[in-house]
Amino acid sequence: MNYKPIDWVDERLGTAKFTRKSLNKIFPDHWSFMLGEIAMYSFFILLATGVFLTLFFVPSSADTVYHGSYAPMDGHVVSQAYASTLNLSFSVRAGLVMRQMHHWAANVFIAAIVVHLLRVFFTGAFRKPREINWIVGSLLLMLAIFEGFLGYSLPDDLISGTGIRIAYSITLSIPIVGSYLASFLFGGQFPGNKIIPRFYTIHILLIPALMAGLLGAHLAIMWHQKHTQYKGKGKTEKNVVGIAMWPAYAMQAGGFFFLTASVLAALGGLVQINPIWLYGPYIPYKVSYAVQPDWYMGWLDGALRLFPSWEITGFGHMIPTVFFPAVLLPGVTFGLLMAWPWIERIFTKDTGAHNLLESPRENPWRTSIGVGVMAFYMVLFFASSTDVLANTFDVSLNFVLWAFRVLVFVIPPIAAYVAHKLAAEAGSVESAGRPRKAMVVFRSNEGEYTTEESDPRPELEFKRHAMHGDIAQSLPEESRLHGEATEKADDGEDYAFSVSSVADTPAEEIGERPSGGSGVYEVPRGAPGSGGGMFSPRGPVHSKEVSDSEDEE
Amino acid sequence: MSGSTPELEQELDGEGLLKASERRFERAVGVSFALSFLATIGLGVVYWQGGQTQLEGALLFVALGGIGFGIVAWGKYLVPQGPYVQEREELRSTESEREAFVQSFERGNKLILRRSFLAKLLGASVGAFGVITLFPFIRSLGPQPKKMLYVTNWKKGSALVKSDGTKVHSTDLEVGGVLTVFPEGHAGGAISQSILIRPSFEDIVTKPGRETWGPQGYLAYSKVCTHAGCPVGLYQELTQQLLCPCHQSLFDVMTGANPVFGPAPRPLPQLPLEIDPQGYLRAQAGFDEPIGPGFWERA
Amino acid sequence: MKFRKKLGGRVVVPVALGVAASVGGLALFSQGAVAATSTGSSSTSGANSVTYGGTSGAGSAPITNVKLNPATIALGKTLFVENCSSCHGDTASGTSRAPNLQGLGAATIDFWVSTGRMPLADPTVQATVKPSRFTKQQTLAIDAYVSSLASGGPKIPEVNLGSASISAGEGLFSTNCAACHTITGVGDALAGGVYAPSLYPATKTQVAEAIRTGPGNMPRFGPGNLSNQQVADIVKYVKYLQHPNNAGGIGLGHVGPVTEGFVGILIGLGSLMIAGYWIGGRAH
Repeated sequence: MNYKPIDWVDERLGTAKFTRKSLNKIFPDHWSFMLGEIAMYSFFILLATGVFLTLFFVPSSADTVYHGSYAPMDGHVVSQAYASTLNLSFSVRAGLVMRQMHHWAANVFIAAIVVHLLRVFFTGAFRKPREINWIVGSLLLMLAIFEGFLGYSLPDDLISGTGIRIAYSITLSIPIVGSYLASFLFGGQFPGNKIIPRFYTIHILLIPALMAGLLGAHLAIMWHQKHTQYKGKGKTEKNVVGIAMWPAYAMQAGGFFFLTASVLAALGGLVQINPIWLYGPYIPYKVSYAVQPDWYMGWLDGALRLFPSWEITGFGHMIPTVFFPAVLLPGVTFGLLMAWPWIERIFTKDTGAHNLLESPRENPWRTSIGVGVMAFYMVLFFASSTDVLANTFDVSLNFVLWAFRVLVFVIPPIAAYVAHKLAAEAGSVESAGRPRKAMVVFRSNEGEYTTEESDPRPELEFKRHAMHGDIAQSLPEESRLHGEATEKADDGEDYAFSVSSVADTPAEEIGERPSGGSGVYEVPRGAPGSGGGMFSPRGPVHSKEVSDSEDEE
Repeated sequence: MSGSTPELEQELDGEGLLKASERRFERAVGVSFALSFLATIGLGVVYWQGGQTQLEGALLFVALGGIGFGIVAWGKYLVPQGPYVQEREELRSTESEREAFVQSFERGNKLILRRSFLAKLLGASVGAFGVITLFPFIRSLGPQPKKMLYVTNWKKGSALVKSDGTKVHSTDLEVGGVLTVFPEGHAGGAISQSILIRPSFEDIVTKPGRETWGPQGYLAYSKVCTHAGCPVGLYQELTQQLLCPCHQSLFDVMTGANPVFGPAPRPLPQLPLEIDPQGYLRAQAGFDEPIGPGFWERA
Repeated sequence: MKFRKKLGGRVVVPVALGVAASVGGLALFSQGAVAATSTGSSSTSGANSVTYGGTSGAGSAPITNVKLNPATIALGKTLFVENCSSCHGDTASGTSRAPNLQGLGAATIDFWVSTGRMPLADPTVQATVKPSRFTKQQTLAIDAYVSSLASGGPKIPEVNLGSASISAGEGLFSTNCAACHTITGVGDALAGGVYAPSLYPATKTQVAEAIRTGPGNMPRFGPGNLSNQQVADIVKYVKYLQHPNNAGGIGLGHVGPVTEGFVGILIGLGSLMIAGYWIGGRAH
C-alpha cells in the first residue's frame, strides 16, 4: 500500500484510527433524512455566494449620485449600499446570478430547515437523547430567520427599507427598554445612517459565525449519537441499519450538494428575485403598496395585520399594539418550540431513550398538536398577503382581513381534529404505510393456478438481485450471516448485500474491538424477529468466519 | 486506489461479470459528467464574452447538476448499498467511569476552594470586568432617547414644503389633491413627513378645538402610521380615507384621521395649518402629541 | 358620507381561499412568464397609445391638448343618448343613479370611455377596464358633446415623451403613485372592496388623464402639484414599467416576495425534495 499522504498525516495526528471508524459509519437510508442536508447545502451555497457579494457591496448609507448602466435610476441620489447593489447586478460579471442565487438559497435554506423540523417533530426524533440537538436546531432556525431579514434589508431599497422601519417600531415597542434599544441599535432616531453598516456586520460576521458553530455542534452531536431510524425489519433501538459512509453515503450526499447547488443556480439565473432596480432606493417618505417581507417573516407580518388595535396604557406607560404580535408571539413561539421535548414528557411520562422513530400515525396526539400549530402559522403566513389575495381574487380587503381573523382561530382546531382522526385511523390499520403484499399466481404444468402471498414483493427482490444477488448467492453458506438470524432466514436467497463490502472491512477489527460499535456487518434481509443484540459484534467466532472465508478466496 | 494490486485485479475481474443494468448506469453517469464538462466550458465562454444572467444560470444548472446526478447515480447504482448493520454504543458512561469523573472533578474543586477568598476575589474582578466591558457595546451605540420620540421639526410658523424644498401655496392643490409635505429646511425628513390633503370643504368634521386647523379645506396629518410606522401614503379620495400599505390600517380623513379599520390603535396626529398673507401654507404649531407608533414611556 | 355606502355592495364570497391561493400563484406565474418574453426591452413602446387627430401644434411641449372637432358634437350626442343617458341623463346633468358630468372636462369623459370603464357592466362594483365600446372617433365625439354642455375641467392631454426623463419619472412615480399602484405598477386592493388598477394596459393619454382628473378613488394631481413636464416624466416611467428590465429572468408578476416565496418553497425546495426522495428512497 502506497499511501504516503495518509502515513504523513497519521504519524502526526493519528487520524487513521478514528477516521476509519467514520468511513464505516452507517447511515439509515430514507428520503426524509435528506431534508436537513438540503438546509446544510443551502447554507454552504449562502456562504460561497455571500463571500462573492461582500467583494462588491458597499455597506454605507452615505449618499452618492448613481450614474450606472441602469438608466431609470440615472442621476438619483441614493445610498452607496443601493448603488453598489445596482452595480453588482448590472455591471459585475455574474454578479446578478450570484445575488439571485444568494437570495433563492436563503429562501430554500429556511424552507428546508422548517420541513426538517417538521420531520423531526412528527417522528418524535427530538426525544431523549436528542433534546440538545432539538434546541440547537431551533436556535439555528431563529438565527436563520433573523439573518435572512438582515440580508434582505442590506440593499437599502424601498421595500426592505420599509421593513427596517417596521423593525424599528417593533424594537421601540418592547416594554421598559424599547426606546433605549431602538436608539442604541439605530444610533439615534430612525433612520440615521448607522443601521446599514451595523446590519452588515451582524449579517456577514456575527450570525454566520454563530450559525457555523451551531451547525458544527448539530452535526457533531448527530454523528456521536448516531442517526435515528424508522422501524423496520432488523432495526432495533440498539443498531443502525443503512448504507455505509464510504463510499455509498459520501457519494450520495456529495452528489446531493451539487444537485442543491444546481437547482439554486437555475433559480438564480432564470427566475428573478428581489429586482431592487424596479423598487428604487429607500426614501423614508416613499412607500410602495404590496410590501411583504420574504416568506419566512410572513407569519410575523400576518400577525401584525390580524392583531386588533389593542394598546395597553396605564401608570403613565404604554404597551404598544405591535408588541403582542411582533415580540410576544415569536418569543412564545420559540420558547414553546425549544421546550417541547419537556412539555411532551409531562404528558407521556416517557423518560426512556429512543432511537427508533415513530410514525405520525403511531402518536395521533402529537400529530394533531403539530398539525394544529402548523395550521395556525400557515394562516398567519397567508394573512401576510391579505392585499395581494384580495386583489388577485377580487374580494374586499376588509372581508379578507376579517376572514383571516376568524380563520386563525377556526382552522387550527379543525386541522388538529382531522389530523387526530386520520392518524388514529391509519394507526389502527396494521399494514398502513407498508407496501401491500403481492399475490403471486403460479401455473402448474397441468394448467392449474395457485396463488401465494409473497412478502416482500417479488419485483423489489428482483431489483436487488439484479445488482448484487448473483454475487451474494455465489458465496459459500458459511460466509453469510451468523447467529439466530441466519438460522431463521429461510434459504439464504434473501441475502442481497454485496460481499465485496465485507471484504473491504478488515475482519480483525470487527471482532476484537471491545466497544464493538465500529464494525460493518451485513443484515439478512427479511430475517424476521431479528431483535436487539442479534447481530452481536462481539462474537469473534462469527467474525473469524467472515475473515476466514475472505482469506480463502 | 492507485497502483496495480491484487485487490484491484480482483475488482477488475468482477467487472467482467457486470450486468447489463450496471452498464446502463455507467453510461448514464458518464453522459452526465460529460454534459457537465461541456456546460462548464460553455460557462467559461459566456463569462469571457461578458456574461448573461440567464445563460449563466442555465449552464450552471447543467454543470452542477451533471456532477451531482453523476455522483449520486454512481454512489447509488454502482456501489454496494447494504443494508449494513452497526451497533449503537451505549451513550451513557458506566457507573465506574462516572464515579472516576466525579472524583477527579471534586479533587480539582477542593484544590481551588481551599483558597476560597482568592476564588471570590477572582469572581468579583472577572464579573466587574464583564459588566464594564459590556458598557461600550451598549452605551456607545447611540444616544439616550430622551425627548427624541416626542418632537418633530414642525414649529410654530414652519412653512410647508414639498419634497424638493419648494413652498406649498394654497393654490397648489386642487380639491381631491394630496401632497407629502415637510417643515421648511427639513425636506425629506423621516419623522416630520406629513400628508397634506384637500378634501372638499363641506364634509369636514373637525374635532373640538381643531376648528381652525384646516383653512380652505386643507388638512395635514402626520404620515407616520401609529401602528408600525410606515408612511400612510395611500389616499382614497372618494371615501376620504388614508390606508397604510404595510398592514392596512385605515384612517378617516374627515373625522381627524381616526382609525376605522385594521390594527392601528390611535388617530394620526393632526398638524394645525394656517395660510400666510402671501398665500403659503404654514403650521400654526407643531404636533400636539408624539407621532408614530407607541413606546413604553408614552402615557 | 354618501359615497361610502355606494361602495359597500361589492362583496364576493371567496370559494376557498386556500385552493384559490395556489391557483392564483399559478396565474401570477404565467403572468410573469408573459412578462419575461419582453426581457431586456427597456424602450418605451407607444404601440398601443391612441393617436388623436387635430392636435394643436405638437412641437416639443410635454403635453398638448387635443382639439375636439365641433362638427362631431351631433354624433357625440346621438351616442351619448343611446349609451349613457339612461344613467347620466340626456344632458349629462346626472340622475339619482349617476353623477353630473357637466364641467368635468373632456379628459375625464375620455378616460372613462376610452378605458372601457364606461358604460358600466354592473353599476354596483368598481368600474373595470374592458375593451371600449366605441371607436376612437366615437369616443372623441362623445367627449366633444359632453364638454360642449359646460365649460371647465381638464382637456384631453396628448403626451410627448420626446423631452421626458425616465429617471425623473421614477422619482415622481415612487413619491406619488407607488403607494397605491405599487412600485412596479401592478396595482393592489384598497379598503372597502375597491382597488388600484394595474397600470399595464394604460396608454400614455390615459395615464395623463388619470393624473389630472383623479378618477374614482384616485386623488387629483393638478398643475400646481405636478407640472406638465412632470406628468410626461411619470408617463414615460409608466410606459417603461409595462415592459420593465427583467434582467434576472422570469418576472413572477412583479408582486414581490409573495410569488417569490411560493416559487422558492414549491419549485426550489420541492424539486430538491424530489431529488432527496430519489437518493434516500423509502424505508425498507
